Amino acid sequence: MIQSLANWILSFDILAGMGNPVAWGLSLFVVSALIFVFVALNAIVLVYIERKVSAFMQVRLGPMRVGKFGSLQTVADALKLLQKEDIIPQMADKILFVIGPWVILVASVVTFAAIPFSDTLLAANMNIGLFYVVSISSIVVLGIVMAGWASNNKWSLYGAMRSAAQIISYEIPVGITLIAVVAVVGSLNLQTIVIAQGGTGNLFHWIPIPLPNWFVFHDPFLFLAAFIYLTGATAEINRTPFDIPESESELVAGFMTEFSGLRWALFFLSEYANATLVAFLVSIIFLGGWQSPFSTYGGAQVGFSILTLLAIMWTVFVKIKAKRLSIFPVGLSLVITLCAWLFPGFALWLASPGLFWMLLKVASIIFLLMWFRWTFPRLRVDQLMYVSWKVILPISLINLMGVAVWMWLTGEIQF
Amino acid sequence: MKEQEIYADLSAKFGDKIIEFVEEETLNPTVIVKPAALDEICNYLKDSEDLQFDSLMNLAGHDADGESDLSVIYHLYSTSIKHYITLKTFASRDTPAVKSIAKIYRTADWHEREAYDLYGIIFEGHPDLKRILMEEDWEGYPLRKDYVAAEFYRGMRIEKVK
Amino acid sequence: MGRLHAEEMVLNMGPQHPSTHGVLRLKLRTDGEIVSHIEPVIGYLHRSFEKHAENLEYQMVTPFTGRCDYLGAMGSEHGYAMAVEKMMGIELPERVEYLRVIFAELQRIASHLVALGTFGLDVGAITPFIYCFRERELILDLFEMASGARLLYNYIWIGGLAHDIPPGFVEKTYEFLDAFDKHVAEYNQILTGNKIFIERAADIGVMTPEIAINYGVTGPSLRASGVNIDIRRTQPYSIYDRFDFDVPLGEGIHGTVGDSWDRYYVRVLEMKESAKIVRQALDQLPVEGDVKSAIPRRIRPPKGEIYFRSENPRGELGYYIVSDGKNVPLRLKMRSPAFSNLSVINEIGQGFMISDVIAILGSLDIVLGEIDR
Repeated sequence: MIQSLANWILSFDILAGMGNPVAWGLSLFVVSALIFVFVALNAIVLVYIERKVSAFMQVRLGPMRVGKFGSLQTVADALKLLQKEDIIPQMADKILFVIGPWVILVASVVTFAAIPFSDTLLAANMNIGLFYVVSISSIVVLGIVMAGWASNNKWSLYGAMRSAAQIISYEIPVGITLIAVVAVVGSLNLQTIVIAQGGTGNLFHWIPIPLPNWFVFHDPFLFLAAFIYLTGATAEINRTPFDIPESESELVAGFMTEFSGLRWALFFLSEYANATLVAFLVSIIFLGGWQSPFSTYGGAQVGFSILTLLAIMWTVFVKIKAKRLSIFPVGLSLVITLCAWLFPGFALWLASPGLFWMLLKVASIIFLLMWFRWTFPRLRVDQLMYVSWKVILPISLINLMGVAVWMWLTGEIQF
Repeated sequence: MKEQEIYADLSAKFGDKIIEFVEEETLNPTVIVKPAALDEICNYLKDSEDLQFDSLMNLAGHDADGESDLSVIYHLYSTSIKHYITLKTFASRDTPAVKSIAKIYRTADWHEREAYDLYGIIFEGHPDLKRILMEEDWEGYPLRKDYVAAEFYRGMRIEKVK
Repeated sequence: MGRLHAEEMVLNMGPQHPSTHGVLRLKLRTDGEIVSHIEPVIGYLHRSFEKHAENLEYQMVTPFTGRCDYLGAMGSEHGYAMAVEKMMGIELPERVEYLRVIFAELQRIASHLVALGTFGLDVGAITPFIYCFRERELILDLFEMASGARLLYNYIWIGGLAHDIPPGFVEKTYEFLDAFDKHVAEYNQILTGNKIFIERAADIGVMTPEIAINYGVTGPSLRASGVNIDIRRTQPYSIYDRFDFDVPLGEGIHGTVGDSWDRYYVRVLEMKESAKIVRQALDQLPVEGDVKSAIPRRIRPPKGEIYFRSENPRGELGYYIVSDGKNVPLRLKMRSPAFSNLSVINEIGQGFMISDVIAILGSLDIVLGEIDR
């Protein structure tokens, strides 16, 4: 994208004189700014959605006052945070205290450089994309330890220690899970990984259910790996039920205890950036990224008809079980299905890969993360370590071997 | 067991350490005991096969009029036999010393601290006798009838209670 | 190379801390995450209830009792009123007794709902908390209907009630009870049977019956240890001997008898029993009766003293009252259940982690208002 932007700039006669390096630098700046704006807006929107989702799960309304349905509440909150007094505790290590949040933020923002939003929308097409993302995102722990240590507060220190132990432990199973995928594709390039998931195939190679060629349906081991990755990644980004570094009922606010105002907002920003990053990675690696689930014309109509059928079944189930009528899913899927049958162009659009599908998948994963958060209690620190080292790590190792054996059985690789 | 029988049992065992038995003017018949013998009496009440007073429900300090002796009242209960007894002991106002029973009934630990805090009763043998509700450097014992609050506490004016 | 120097760290949890349920300070001696000693420091909410009571007439003390245990105000008022009535030998109209039981049991449900919700909150489950408050709100609506207040009622007066219940109250209470059973099933779905919750609560802070009795722990926390003592049963006061209800005991379904999960679950079961009592009381409620007929004109208990105990949501609430025949109590001591319940935390919390101490504290269900009085 940077290269094409630079070429585009140079294609204007007036600007051509600025030379290649300048155009390059300019496009680099523009792309970085775009990513940052995406992350910032994303956080504002996600905070709003999280509040609304949690409210609906908790039989309340959530923010309702600022803007229609409280839609401007997070904007107002962000403005408030920017205006707050900048407090640095007297006994804090001032330099680290100031740097800490920024390290976390930078580490979580720059990972988006390698994320393919669609087949063309990609800041940098790296051939080590996956490795880059995983390694850069682990720098976050450095920032957390810096912030926790510099606060000179016992709660912060506990939070930072817990966080370091947790992120490092979960990185190992997560890494091994990702290796299983890399073994299938044979590339670390995220774009290549997405492209490898195009088309339609059988579920688990042999079961004759036509499904998209996504890795989650590739074989039982990768199916399991998707869940392991989601679990491990939830732990890595410190979300409930693994939010022990900031567990607000135990450690006040963990490593964020002493922070306020803008610096605190940075933590929030990076938290949601990380959540989004994980959602992107799950989509890219297991759910086919920007690939459409209906990759051929005709597929869209049939697929949405099946979805409508499912929605009707769901409605009947809800009606019987909870004695209440929810027509929204049926209505929505019915409208889309009708449109798909009536307007072939719409069906084609649905079938074609693109940003829409990417964001839809990301949104679903983020919703899942929110669902976790507002349903589960929190694990204890030793239980968390137990899950990582004694449960997830062995399973992911067996998974890796299983994937290799499976590929040998299906003939995807030969020895 | 009726309170009367418990009293008979106690006075047979402890002799002059048990002072008297009060039934009038109280809805909880009370055995009045000597403060210095309190721990052995409680030990007996707890360990005796027939009594089994394993629970101290309440421990309250009391100051009748600001002149006479302070008193401490113990309400005991047996969770197995389900009977009650009330003990009462007097301590002189100037040197209010009572044997602590905190090691026999752990309930008494905090309750004795409270009685010390509010009445200034010294419980001998208490593991950690210090103020519990009031500040550690508070002057005087507020629930004594002759208590007069200081005018200031750490520079803050204390509102007068009539 | 010198030897690695390691020492214990003192961690002050509170007085301002999200999970100390008020202004409680716990001085924790910690070795890493393991807590080796817990020293509760209380008194931050001391409002001199007993000193005030010695300067107020008997009927003026009633509102103060509610302010001590602000989550179980009806229970506190009920206990106090009964103590003074017993001293004065007042016979109450039937209707008053029934209404008092209805309110006390509704209050028990409301208080246990807060206990469950905040325990969930302490172990990180936020949603059950809101669910619990949803039901509590309905009970508070009922209280508001009757007394006009939602938290501190001053409704149960010595010798009667402040007002009779308004028309429609009985029907609304039935409505609430019908819906309540379903809601309890909801809590069990979202919290009670949750695997993570069981991991967090089972086998944590095990309280043996001996420790519990010796420390004077009462109420649901004691019954969770398997000790069958409920003052409503062992020493029935008011009209509790007329109702048919069970006393749930801890059984150690997921761990040891007397662990935090048991303390939680006993409360869930107790709410069901309270609902049962309320239903029976509503069925038997006499239609006729003046709730103010027995209120004495002058409240001057005869010279003497009493220790009266009743079963509050948190345990044994005792009032030790000494009267010298005047209209002002000579001495009024409130034996608050949470005071003794909290004192056990060092005994059962040692050797657990910081997170577990929070869970244990939550399972004890303390209210600082009545600890500090």
